[in-house]
Amino acid sequence: MRKALAILLLVIVGYYFIAIFLNVPFGNKPKGVGEYYLDKTPTQTGAANAVTAIVVSYRGFDTLGEVTVLFLAATGLGAILFDKKGKKRRLQNASIIVKETSRVIYPLIVLLGAYVFIHGHLTPGGGFQGGAIIATGVLLMFMSYRSFETNHGALSWIESLAGITFVSLGLSGLIWGTSFLQNILVGGAQQNLGQLNHLVSAGIIPLIYIAVGFKVGAELTALLDNMLKTIK
Amino acid sequence: MNLTPVQFVAIPLFAAFLIPIVAKISKEAVKYIPGIVFLYLAYVAFTLFPKALEKPIVEIIAGFKPPFGIVLYFGPTAAFLVSMVMVVGFVIWLYSFKFIIREPSEKYYMLFMMLITGATGIMLTGDVFNLFVFFEITAIAAYSLTAFLRDKDGAEAAFKYLLIGSFSSTFFLLAIALIYSNTHTLNMADLAVKMQNVDVTTKLFILILFISGLGIESELFPLNGWAPDAYSQAPTPVAAVFAGIVVKASLYALLRLVFLMFNWSEVFYLLLVLGVITMLVGEMSAMRQHQIKRMLAFSSIGQMGLIVIAFSIATVPSLQAGFFQMVNHVLIKSLLFFSAGYLVFHSGSKDISALDGLGKEKPITSFFFAFGALAILGLPPFSGFWGKMFILMAAGNSHLLLVVVLILISGIIEAVYYLRVISRLYFYKETTKEVRRTPVSGLVAMGILTVLIIILGLYPNTILAYLKPAANDLLHRTEYINAVLGQIHL
Repeated sequence: MRKALAILLLVIVGYYFIAIFLNVPFGNKPKGVGEYYLDKTPTQTGAANAVTAIVVSYRGFDTLGEVTVLFLAATGLGAILFDKKGKKRRLQNASIIVKETSRVIYPLIVLLGAYVFIHGHLTPGGGFQGGAIIATGVLLMFMSYRSFETNHGALSWIESLAGITFVSLGLSGLIWGTSFLQNILVGGAQQNLGQLNHLVSAGIIPLIYIAVGFKVGAELTALLDNMLKTIK
Repeated sequence: MNLTPVQFVAIPLFAAFLIPIVAKISKEAVKYIPGIVFLYLAYVAFTLFPKALEKPIVEIIAGFKPPFGIVLYFGPTAAFLVSMVMVVGFVIWLYSFKFIIREPSEKYYMLFMMLITGATGIMLTGDVFNLFVFFEITAIAAYSLTAFLRDKDGAEAAFKYLLIGSFSSTFFLLAIALIYSNTHTLNMADLAVKMQNVDVTTKLFILILFISGLGIESELFPLNGWAPDAYSQAPTPVAAVFAGIVVKASLYALLRLVFLMFNWSEVFYLLLVLGVITMLVGEMSAMRQHQIKRMLAFSSIGQMGLIVIAFSIATVPSLQAGFFQMVNHVLIKSLLFFSAGYLVFHSGSKDISALDGLGKEKPITSFFFAFGALAILGLPPFSGFWGKMFILMAAGNSHLLLVVVLILISGIIEAVYYLRVISRLYFYKETTKEVRRTPVSGLVAMGILTVLIIILGLYPNTILAYLKPAANDLLHRTEYINAVLGQIHL
């Protein structure tokens, strides 16, 4: 009886879910705020990548929140898996082919990650993506070498300093400008936007994304390290 | 730097990012950071309060005007709630000071501070996606803190909470996706205008997603299964934050969205029914509990039901009464959790039956518990009396006699289980236990709450006068819309 009721409820809710979400248009030209962002991004922010302009500038406050969510997830996991004695990874050493290849690829992956977040305001990608790429490089090393260790002290310094940089850039807008997270380097007259498509452009947007890249890279690395270490 | 509402979010974030560095130098210093932050923010809140009463403060973030950028709305409601949160946050920090001795303590203080910051953000934001982000911050900090003691039950409670909480976030996000695809905006004031053009089926569906998403965190009736486990397994100060701050924040978010976008009378009827069921089920379940913290958790659910009833009557006096009861519940339930935490610590067991005769051995802690219990029952000299009185009057004025009767019945149930604990504390024969001392910081925290409860009980009308603008602010959406969108013309 209970099961039948549950199934009936699921069918009704499912029907409305599908009926409503099928009506949502997809792939049309953006309207409302979306249209505004696409039109104004180059002149208001100086970023060639409109997605980055939305993420870091128009909705930068959300991004600060998302960075915090990741920070909290890493902190919470660290608190729950905390062990005074320290643990080890269960993984065995990989074969020599994997080991040698990862040694060559690892710096290249880190380089690619750095490229992605430094050019976040010009090309697709940005701080979150770049940081995630760097963490995959470290994961490759974790899986290949049982003895590969990261420096936890350094990671938490990077994490903290990057977070402080983000908030300080936000507060600088409050001190020298009119609002939190305002792009102070661009200025009101819109003359300092820099040349579109050049590395040095768009004011604080690349600075924020570099901080985010460092932060996400360090956090994901620490997360992976925590989760892979399962045996005492 | 001018004092602006964004500091309620930016300063704690800055402090939280700073904590890992400070911890490397001195672990002792980390403990003081949340206290300093809350003290400063309480100062900011009380400085901005009079300004917000005159005219709501609308703060633009990143220099883009609404609806294109994110805004913070610091009106009378937010000013009132945020001030309350900062004061109570400080008191809870004071209590944590000697209570949390478990490592890694610096991580505890980070998570604790961010839990309260997330809840503050929910109260401040004027953007529906930003609301979701703060909701996530609160939720993730809450999951980790539930499992902070790293025992089996804690892990189970946290996992349950995580599963239900993920549903809540998903529903919320789906609702936002629907809203954006239909209106192409996320600013709440702008939405209040543009949602009128959305067809009714979609609107209803969005409402259901909001109620089920936010109802989970606000402990509405069928959605509150996570609460008792989480409350009883989390460290005591965290349980006080859940009951006092997190639940209030998500209820406020739900009410704000309903008043802005879905102010149909049927919605308030639905909320009224949900509130009544929540209250009755919460109180009746509380009566059947054998563990003191679980009992307090169910009692907290019952109180939330009472508050939802007050808000769903949707008149100015009823909203005033609802806010008054919110303050009451924050203060009294924190006091109850604080004293129960030490009673459990002294008796060495979570069971109510283990409390026999503690009133003689631990007179001060037991006194605080008894004080809180009598206050929440609504005996005249305490603030709880006025909270219930105002709600009953508001319900009576709206001719909801059945609701009045049910509130009174739930009051009787409440009396049964609270008095049962008090009688065990004072009139049962004591069993010999090893005597441990309650630290001074804990006693000071409970003392502050006691004084606040007495002040609130003696001068209810002063508080009520401040609550009138808050009630108007929530009830009348045109002021909200004008305050946010006034500077641009659509």
